[in-house]
Amino acid sequence: MSPALTPPATEPSAPARPDQPVLRLEMRGIVKSFGGVRAIRHADIAVSPGSVHALVGENGAGKSTLIKIIAGAERADSGSIEFDGKPVSIASTSDAIELGVQTVYQEPQLFPELSVAENVFVGRELKRGLRVDWSGQADQMHELLATVGLPDRIATSLVGTLSIAQQQQVSIAKALAGEASVLILDEPSAILTDSEIDVLFAVIRRLSSSGVAIIYISHRLDELFRIADEVTVMRDGETITTKPIGELTVRQIAELMVGGVLTEARSTEDVAAGDTVLELDALSREPRFVDISLKVHAGEIVGLYGLVGSGAGTIADVIYGMDKPTDGRILVRGKPVTISKPGQAKKLGIHLLPANRSAQGSFSFQSIAFNITIGELALLSKLPGWVTKRREREIARDFIKRLAVKTPSEKQPLTAMSGGNAQKVVLARQLVKRPAILVLVEPTQGVDVGAKEEIHRIISGLANEGTAVLVVTSDLGEVLRISDKILVIRAGRIAAEFGEDATQVEILAAAAGDAGESGGTA
Amino acid sequence: MTITSDGPAVSPHNTPRGPAPKSRGFFSLVLEALVTQRIVLLGVLIVLVLIIMSVLDGMGMLSGAFNADYLAAALINLVPLAMLGLAQLLVILSGLGGIDLSVGSMVSLTGVIFGFAYGIWGWEFFPALMLAILAGAACGAINGSLVSYVGFPPLIATLATYYAFRSIALVISNQKPVNSIEIQNFYSAAQAIELPLIGGSLPLVPLGIFTFLIPCVIVVWLLLNKTGFGQRVYALGTNNVAAIWSGINVKTNRMAVYVLSGVISGLVAVVTVAQFASARPDAGTSGNGMALPSITIAVLGGVAIMGGIGRVSGIVLATLLIVWVNAGILLAFPGNDGTQFQLLALGLVLILASLLNGLTKRKYGGI
Amino acid sequence: MTIDQRSAPAAAQRATARRILPPPVTGQEIVLVGVIAVLWILLGLFTPAFLSPSSIQPLLVSVAPVALIGVGMTFIIITAGIDVSVAGAIMLCAVITAKSLVDSNLPLLPAVGLSIAVGLALGMLNGVLTAYGRVHAIIITFGTANVFQFLALRVFGSSTVNGIPSTFDVFGRGEAGRTLGIPHSFAITVLVVAAGWWYLRHTAGGRHLFAIGGNANAARLAGIKVQPRVMMAYGLTGALVGLASCFFIASGTSTLDQAVGSGQELAVIAATVIGGTSILGGRGSVIGTLLGAVLVQTVTSGVTQLGWPTQLANLFVGIFIIVAVGTDLLRERARRKA
Repeated sequence: MSPALTPPATEPSAPARPDQPVLRLEMRGIVKSFGGVRAIRHADIAVSPGSVHALVGENGAGKSTLIKIIAGAERADSGSIEFDGKPVSIASTSDAIELGVQTVYQEPQLFPELSVAENVFVGRELKRGLRVDWSGQADQMHELLATVGLPDRIATSLVGTLSIAQQQQVSIAKALAGEASVLILDEPSAILTDSEIDVLFAVIRRLSSSGVAIIYISHRLDELFRIADEVTVMRDGETITTKPIGELTVRQIAELMVGGVLTEARSTEDVAAGDTVLELDALSREPRFVDISLKVHAGEIVGLYGLVGSGAGTIADVIYGMDKPTDGRILVRGKPVTISKPGQAKKLGIHLLPANRSAQGSFSFQSIAFNITIGELALLSKLPGWVTKRREREIARDFIKRLAVKTPSEKQPLTAMSGGNAQKVVLARQLVKRPAILVLVEPTQGVDVGAKEEIHRIISGLANEGTAVLVVTSDLGEVLRISDKILVIRAGRIAAEFGEDATQVEILAAAAGDAGESGGTA
Repeated sequence: MTITSDGPAVSPHNTPRGPAPKSRGFFSLVLEALVTQRIVLLGVLIVLVLIIMSVLDGMGMLSGAFNADYLAAALINLVPLAMLGLAQLLVILSGLGGIDLSVGSMVSLTGVIFGFAYGIWGWEFFPALMLAILAGAACGAINGSLVSYVGFPPLIATLATYYAFRSIALVISNQKPVNSIEIQNFYSAAQAIELPLIGGSLPLVPLGIFTFLIPCVIVVWLLLNKTGFGQRVYALGTNNVAAIWSGINVKTNRMAVYVLSGVISGLVAVVTVAQFASARPDAGTSGNGMALPSITIAVLGGVAIMGGIGRVSGIVLATLLIVWVNAGILLAFPGNDGTQFQLLALGLVLILASLLNGLTKRKYGGI
Repeated sequence: MTIDQRSAPAAAQRATARRILPPPVTGQEIVLVGVIAVLWILLGLFTPAFLSPSSIQPLLVSVAPVALIGVGMTFIIITAGIDVSVAGAIMLCAVITAKSLVDSNLPLLPAVGLSIAVGLALGMLNGVLTAYGRVHAIIITFGTANVFQFLALRVFGSSTVNGIPSTFDVFGRGEAGRTLGIPHSFAITVLVVAAGWWYLRHTAGGRHLFAIGGNANAARLAGIKVQPRVMMAYGLTGALVGLASCFFIASGTSTLDQAVGSGQELAVIAATVIGGTSILGGRGSVIGTLLGAVLVQTVTSGVTQLGWPTQLANLFVGIFIIVAVGTDLLRERARRKA
């Protein structure tokens, strides 16, 4: 059995809750199409007050559309919505807000130039006459910040100066300021570190025990067992089933999501490691990371496992010239090099797949062919500086075939593609010119299970052909599945090193380390 | 490990612009082509304008003949307008709010400099032309470095240089047109000529079309479609951050775009000096100036103001449409009325084109 | 979930409230006051006539329309929009109002009302197109600028408007336009700036403008009615253009020529930007805009009084824009690096 699919033994499933006589939210027979494409064929969901209801499904299964309908951002074509037993119609975000539906989106929807206090109350300011009642808001801020576990003094900070995790806590505070009766959390844990997730879960438990109905969306199936009471699985626009979490295992949920049976995992093929291609020698970028030394050999996949905020991502940035080291050396094939911009990294044969596909990787409305070839324009013609469409097409078609990108044509814009396929296109860009060193940052974030598997296979294949691969990831299953060697980064340092025989528990313990203490108390 | 699943998950929000289903009617296909293919729309509009004006002409409602000779003569206005439209195309394509409000001021300033060199200092034509190009490039480099290296929003950087260049042009020329016999004779560069070989059967076409506009169109087209530079411009206009991560030197490339805009402005300055037979220090800034019409051309030509979308052919057709509409208006409303109705036409066309761009983006996901 | 209201001790409560109140000034204002003070002192030293009332008064009169429209422009730019149709709108408001003064000899208040009403209508047109057309404001307002100019020229006919009665002299440069030495138009402008400052800082509507400019999508999700708010900012600008048009009519002789308003859109934007309002939205100050307008006018007037070529003033305007925005950018960069 694949390690990623094992439910963690450390957390017991949430205790059963007493029966709730009235459902807070019940949606039946929801159907929604976008210009002829059925986003939701048929969805039923029922959420009780005081419970945490997990909503899971592969990308494109219809989860986001469903929550948009609840939040009033989209309108269902047909179907009924009942709130506390009474039929309602949700035509706009303000209708939803009036009913007490509050949504915390994955990307915090905040205003960087405004203070935390203003962010929390924006859109529903307390008023004294014409004016905003600043002191009334100040009072409530105190309570709200305590509820979400933020210090009081943060109320006046500009949101733009906070960490992502703090911004998410502000988002939740903002949702709570609006008298939430239903709180929707859209993949809140995706960008958080483990200790931050502990804080988040403590907040969620506190809220649900005060009677808020919570809809929780996540790709990290294992964490559902720590937080959810019930699970609704969506597939291809339909709600497949709803069950108490205790009746399911991670593996069963995954199988329901993909609608098939997961077969056994494979381990990386052993390849005789070649020469050292990339070496970091006591590399530091203070305060993000210090004294990192590692070697990546030709044909080897080194996994750099670190939770978000551990500094692992910054190591990749420095290798690719997106950030400057404060100390230490980078050696390529034994020679010390200076890399101050991505162009130099690429000249040394270092290619990098960035973590955030839509922000850092996609040229969304350009064609797939454009997206694949844009990194290596020099290959598009024999004449320097020149490009030919024929060559662009050839290269694009070649990679569409090699990476099994599902598309009718290389002329399709990237916007028309699912997450997994788009990720393959961005990955293809790094492969147009065979990289000597390939750095992959979160290569399968936000990608559905099927595409994830294919991308892992592509990575293994590259290593088998002799590329030195460094995978920076916060996905434990991923690092275990594809790495020959695993380095765990915690608080900017290498906390532990493992071979292929590492276990999940060992790695997690090394990565969480004493960081677990601060989170556990929240 | 293998997965049996039900096929690719397609995101419902981004309906691919794939081949249209066969069941769709002819009219809806035509409508989509008109709305999504700016070239088609512009072509249809040009034909419509020609037909309407010919009908009006036939009914005797025009003050002059709307014929091939008149249309060809009107092309004299095509040259500066289309060239500056190309300058805006390059700048707007590069994204991050790219726009160049200073093109008119650059035309004024480089025109005065050219006037001095060619008319007063007695330089030969080609050195003077080179000087105008260099001066334009230098102006563009100021815009480019402010935008690219200091991080100014392009609107602000070029607003500031709009003021500065305009002021310098007026101050160094002492607010008087630069004039001399050489410059007056230079008017010949703007005259209409007969095309060689087949020219006898065709109307006279302004010389500037061949000496300035066509080479400029070809060069910009080649740059955008056949060079790596062009691909990079589209890339940084589509997603600047992704361009950085792809190893593209976004700063130099963005800088280059503004420099090119300056170079084109320098060329336009020379054309304008020829047209006016004098180097006017307010050539590019009097009235509404040249920036507004050139931005109008770009938007009408289907250039997305957010960057990354736009084509040379759109610019050329959009200019042709505007120039002929203006020429038609002058015949339909003689005198002062004509110039006033040109303003109305320009404004309405711009509003409708931009609303159409917005609609296109919403409905069909692109232009 | 409900948050129980706990009554904190009054003093502590006030202290907290003060802490979460947005700051009264955003940074650029103090620098601008300094720069203006230095300029005035220098100009006073080189041309002693500069600091006399007969020099300062006309300066304030010419600041008034720019700063007045600047209040509306600041609102618009805070929402991450822009309005370049101001010049055309001034032209149209001014010519309609001037004609009605000449033709029907309207009294003061109805004339001002008419001008504001016309301006409001034009602003609302911009607002509707921008808010609901989902097109970048600069393009829409470039378009309406042409249309306004066309309409204005049609009203003008082919000549100037002559024989305008002295109805608007209370806004003018003459004795009738001052009380206690303070030009009325400038006093009105200061009042409008004060009201704008209070609105932006203390009301939910004002704070929403910042939210919209900072992140329009998040604002929508937070239940802010984005489109009406944006429309209102353009409508306000239009109404202020209407009022400012009265000042423009008053500032001339009894003749209104077709050049009225020409170039004012950029002058207003320049004042706003020099005043520290970020063209990217989410940040801005009407006090800064007023100071920006004073700075620009000081330079224009200073250049004339020093006997330099008048056109040189624009070079300084350009340089001021670069310096003001440049320092802001560098400050921002330093803040991000820290």
